[in-house]
Amino acid sequence: MKEITAIIRRDRLQETKKVLEDLGFPSLSIQSVDGRGKQKGMVCDNDLDPDLPDKFCTSVKLTPTPSSYALDHALPKVALFVPKRMLTMVVPDDLVTKIVKAIIKINQTGKTGDGKIFVSPVESAIRVRTSETGGEAIA
Amino acid sequence: MKMIRAFIRPEKEQEVVQALEGAGFPSLTKMPVFGRGKQKGLQVGPVHYDELPKTLIMMVINDGDVTKVVSLIMDKARTGFVGDGKIFVSPVETTYTVRTGEAVL
Repeated sequence: MKEITAIIRRDRLQETKKVLEDLGFPSLSIQSVDGRGKQKGMVCDNDLDPDLPDKFCTSVKLTPTPSSYALDHALPKVALFVPKRMLTMVVPDDLVTKIVKAIIKINQTGKTGDGKIFVSPVESAIRVRTSETGGEAIA
Repeated sequence: MKMIRAFIRPEKEQEVVQALEGAGFPSLTKMPVFGRGKQKGLQVGPVHYDELPKTLIMMVINDGDVTKVVSLIMDKARTGFVGDGKIFVSPVETTYTVRTGEAVL
């Protein structure tokens, strides 16, 4: 079993869910997170609207979300974060590539801020209702 | 690659993030979480606080940087009192950048 953690744009969530469902993987957890990459959270409007050209990026800076603590305490220099959605799903080994490719395909805009996908090993899974373990639990 | 998950005090978040940025690790994801440790929360007079707010910082880094990042977080997030948090390190097999579709960190 592998755990796939995908951090994606907020506006791609519904499409991603639809694609995963079509692939036969409706089960996932969704979390609202704040994140940043190499660009240190400096984003332009194309995080919200991926169709905007890249040069728009350099001139217009969207205000990302500093943490509420930073705002409350009026810190002089705050680290900036961009709101994202994090999907977590545990899938059988042989389907990892297929699912990763599907997520990349639907989320790729070619602009910075498309997100990351992490694949990590999971030792066991247990379904609480029936106590099934391993592959049966995630089937 | 390794995934670092650090549960820290919310008020230490900015300090930790900026220290990491200064050391060349700007990429991370954070989320608010609630938790407790082996002290079973906080007892203030008759009131028991069981779900204490924490910030979870999640980042994936190369194996060689683990010690550096962990000690950096420990240094900045520590107050010496209970509730400073925990750091978990777990393996990550592959990382994909969605924009390029390549399997690089």
